[in-house]
Amino acid sequence: MVEYRIDRHSGVATYVQIVQQTKQALRLGLLRPGDKLPTAREVVEATAINPNTVLKAYRELEREGLVEARRGLGTFVRRSLGAAPADSPLRAELEEWARRARAGGLERDDVAALFTAVLDKHFQGDPS
Amino acid sequence: MSALTLTTPSPERPRQTRWLLRLHRPALCAWVALAVVLAALLLALAGPLVDAAAEGWRQYGACGMSPRCSYDQAAIMRYKDYYNYATIALNLLPFVVAAWAGAALTGRELESGTARLAWTQSTSPAGWLTVRLAVPALGLLVCTGLLSRLHHLAWAAGEDRIDSAKEWYDRFTFHANGPTLAALTLAGLAAGALAGLLVRRALPALVIGVLVTGAVRGLAELALPHLWPAVTRTGSVDRFVPGDGLGVDQGMVTRGGAHVPAPSCDSPAGCDAAYKDFVGRYDVFHPASHFWPLQLTTSALFLAVTALLVTACFLTLRHHTGALRSPRTARTAKTA
Amino acid sequence: MSSDTALRADALGKRFGRRGGWALRDCAFRLPAGRVCALVGPNGAGKSTLLALAAGLTAPTEGALTVLGTTPAEARPRVGYLAQDKPLYPQLTVAETLRMGAALNPERWDPAVAEGVVAGGDLDPAARVRTLSGGQRTRVALALALGKRPELLLLDEPMADLDPLARHDLMGTLMGQVARYGTTIVLSSHVVAELEDSCDHLLLVGGGRVRLAGEIDELLAAHLRISGAAADADLGPHTVVESRVTGRQLSALIRPAGPLTDGWRATAPSLEELVLAHLRSPNAPSLTEERAA
Repeated sequence: MVEYRIDRHSGVATYVQIVQQTKQALRLGLLRPGDKLPTAREVVEATAINPNTVLKAYRELEREGLVEARRGLGTFVRRSLGAAPADSPLRAELEEWARRARAGGLERDDVAALFTAVLDKHFQGDPS
Repeated sequence: MSALTLTTPSPERPRQTRWLLRLHRPALCAWVALAVVLAALLLALAGPLVDAAAEGWRQYGACGMSPRCSYDQAAIMRYKDYYNYATIALNLLPFVVAAWAGAALTGRELESGTARLAWTQSTSPAGWLTVRLAVPALGLLVCTGLLSRLHHLAWAAGEDRIDSAKEWYDRFTFHANGPTLAALTLAGLAAGALAGLLVRRALPALVIGVLVTGAVRGLAELALPHLWPAVTRTGSVDRFVPGDGLGVDQGMVTRGGAHVPAPSCDSPAGCDAAYKDFVGRYDVFHPASHFWPLQLTTSALFLAVTALLVTACFLTLRHHTGALRSPRTARTAKTA
Repeated sequence: MSSDTALRADALGKRFGRRGGWALRDCAFRLPAGRVCALVGPNGAGKSTLLALAAGLTAPTEGALTVLGTTPAEARPRVGYLAQDKPLYPQLTVAETLRMGAALNPERWDPAVAEGVVAGGDLDPAARVRTLSGGQRTRVALALALGKRPELLLLDEPMADLDPLARHDLMGTLMGQVARYGTTIVLSSHVVAELEDSCDHLLLVGGGRVRLAGEIDELLAAHLRISGAAADADLGPHTVVESRVTGRQLSALIRPAGPLTDGWRATAPSLEELVLAHLRSPNAPSLTEERAA
């Protein structure tokens, strides 16, 4: 189960925050195919946001083929996202790279800038 | 489904009466206690107290002119005091009810906003007011009806046995002795409720409710002698026995047969001179047999005033809430 | 009247007393069912009057207000109302207050909903209402309004007495009602920020008139916050709600009537910016669905 945290001051539309957090959970393997998303009622009772916002986010996820709504049952995950679960080999490689960057004397901000630059180069034009 | 609708022909109605009694439980308890005390006092007056006082009067009568004579003066005084307390208390009941109705029944609810709470449940403002008037009215009718019956019993027990007993037409005794008490109490209830609806504050409504009830009672005092045809008795100028009862008018009869007020005079000789042109005296009064006609007509007067006040209550409520107004009439009202 | 309309005002006006000022005048708007509507405006703008009219507590002086397809009086059993001062009978206990709600709304009362709202506040059911704090009273009053399972819930400044945690909690309860039953909610407030995430419809009143009415998304999309050089400022066909010149720079909130010319930096306004701009400029033209349509 995923728990949404809404940041009012992020400047990001609330429904986009729900979409992003769902995708994040899919990427990290916290949500897997067949899992049920919380109902709109559960989300709004915890976050005090408008139910239509939740439904809008779920419709967006459904449009992208990530989830499906089953009438009377709820909204279920159809497929997972990305290939980088928490324990994948890619993660191990990244950990190794980060260790070497630090040992090489790079500051945290330097590493982040480097990573973002590489990310931008390889994923240019892709939706976030 | 159809079986269900057949077995439950009318939809469930909001249970307002029970909650009205719950909300005003302290007032209800106080009222019941007051009524019990008054009823006990009146029963005591009708029984042991009047017997003791009558015995006292009998002893006093037996004393004749004897300078040293003992009689039970304490019993006489006790009866007289308690009788007065009970009569005045009964006469005050309509004012107590008016004060309560103005302050607690409507005024405080409008002042604190709980009326708005009540009007936004499934009950209409008109239903809210109906229960607030009908339930106390019923209780008060029974209660004051019984008390005035007991008072009449206590008063009648002293008639002819107590030399200082009040006459039937004594105003306080009259209004404690019959249905005018219940009728004026209902008028007090309506006056208080109207005051609360109009001024929407508890304390001013209390004062206004009492004042309006006082005005109704005052008007009735003025109207009372004329609410039933009085008896006219005439006689000669020097041998005239005035009527025994509630006096309405008296004076002199002229040669032409006209009734005029008696001219003022301050000495027997002066009076003889002043009266010499008149052929007789007259007296207009209500004998004791008019007790019930006067009670019933005065009660009817009070009830008519009550009906006016109740109508005013509902009109005031409708003016505030527009409960009976449909959008269509509102629209035509605008275009008109 | 279609049943998908929760509230509809036509030339609605309310004046107190024969010679008093108009609390509301010429109000026309439509609130679709199932919306959470923020009723926003400065103090004394007519918010409470509008809610009292919808609750059937006062009669309009002119025009008409249709509630759930009928008159406010007819709609009474289906409408919940929470007055600003949260009146309750002080002599009753919390449990008695809820029992009274059940007795006065026999056809609709849902004890589970009412008790759920009260239970969330850690309230002693045997406590007398007169001993409760402001926030606790709000909770009991709200339980009474929600226990009726209203189709339309009118809340006058419901959050004023509550601490931030209780606000969040109660707003969550309200949103849960919307999700579960499709309840339409109108809640008034003069604090816009706390409504932004919960409401999807806006009714902005100022000076007794409706200034903005409609879906928040659409209202926001219809406006732009722009800035540029004051020297060559020509906002031509656009409707200017508010504009300000600071030094050489002009910034404005506009309703664009077409594409902007070059030289302007445009950003989407926040709900609060939109509301404040309209309240600061009483003469700016109103935008309501009725007039837009």
